[in-house]
Amino acid sequence: MSLRRQGTTLFSAMLAFVGAAVVLQLWLLTVSMEALLSGAFKTLIPAAAGSSLLLLINAGLLRYVFRFDRDAHGERE
Amino acid sequence: MNIQDEGQGCAGCKAKATPKWQQDFPIEWEADHYVTRREMVKFLTLGSLLLASANWATVVASRLLHRGSHVERHIGSASALDQEGSMLFRYPTEADPCIAVRTPEGKLVAYSQVCTHLSCAVVYDKAENGLFCPCHHGLFNLAGQPIGGPPTRPLPRVQLEQRGDQLFAVGLEVV
Repeated sequence: MSLRRQGTTLFSAMLAFVGAAVVLQLWLLTVSMEALLSGAFKTLIPAAAGSSLLLLINAGLLRYVFRFDRDAHGERE
Repeated sequence: MNIQDEGQGCAGCKAKATPKWQQDFPIEWEADHYVTRREMVKFLTLGSLLLASANWATVVASRLLHRGSHVERHIGSASALDQEGSMLFRYPTEADPCIAVRTPEGKLVAYSQVCTHLSCAVVYDKAENGLFCPCHHGLFNLAGQPIGGPPTRPLPRVQLEQRGDQLFAVGLEVV
């Protein structure tokens, strides 16, 4: 399998994962807004922490994309 | 036929098979999709950053809202409350209606008047010995817990202090 083809498959899987994480973050934001408006403040910090964790995972995957690109360019040159 | 001719022949076939516009503007479909996925991951990560920021903004907003709930406020006299059985007041701000009730056991309790179902105002119901929401027939006991109708969350409790005959609201406790 060529490096490009490998990258395409890998990026599809990562895209699906990142998309799912963003949907989960949207749900967490909805829960937080409802909790904020109803005054149940205890929910907010765990929700924000969960959202930040998902952001870190997404940022890690994005970093991997950049590194993959750099390596691919290096191999081509 | 030598190798060079074969190569030229194939190139000629390919040129005939592809329309002229595609020859003028060749598009590498696979490479194009590859870039799109990569861009999409970047875009989604940016969205993820915005969503996480919005989540922390709700935490900051809650701190700002909560700060106002520890102010001290005079709400009326205990004798007036004893006469009526219940008393309406506003705490922590003028936009937050609350209700204070003297229970049959003589205990003084106060709650937010905003029903946790759909925000109608609850009223004291002596017959039911609880706080009744007339909009959807929700009922809370005098501990603030929902015991009937659609509400599922308890009412926020207002902490009271009695100094002589005067009553003061000193905090709001959300369960």
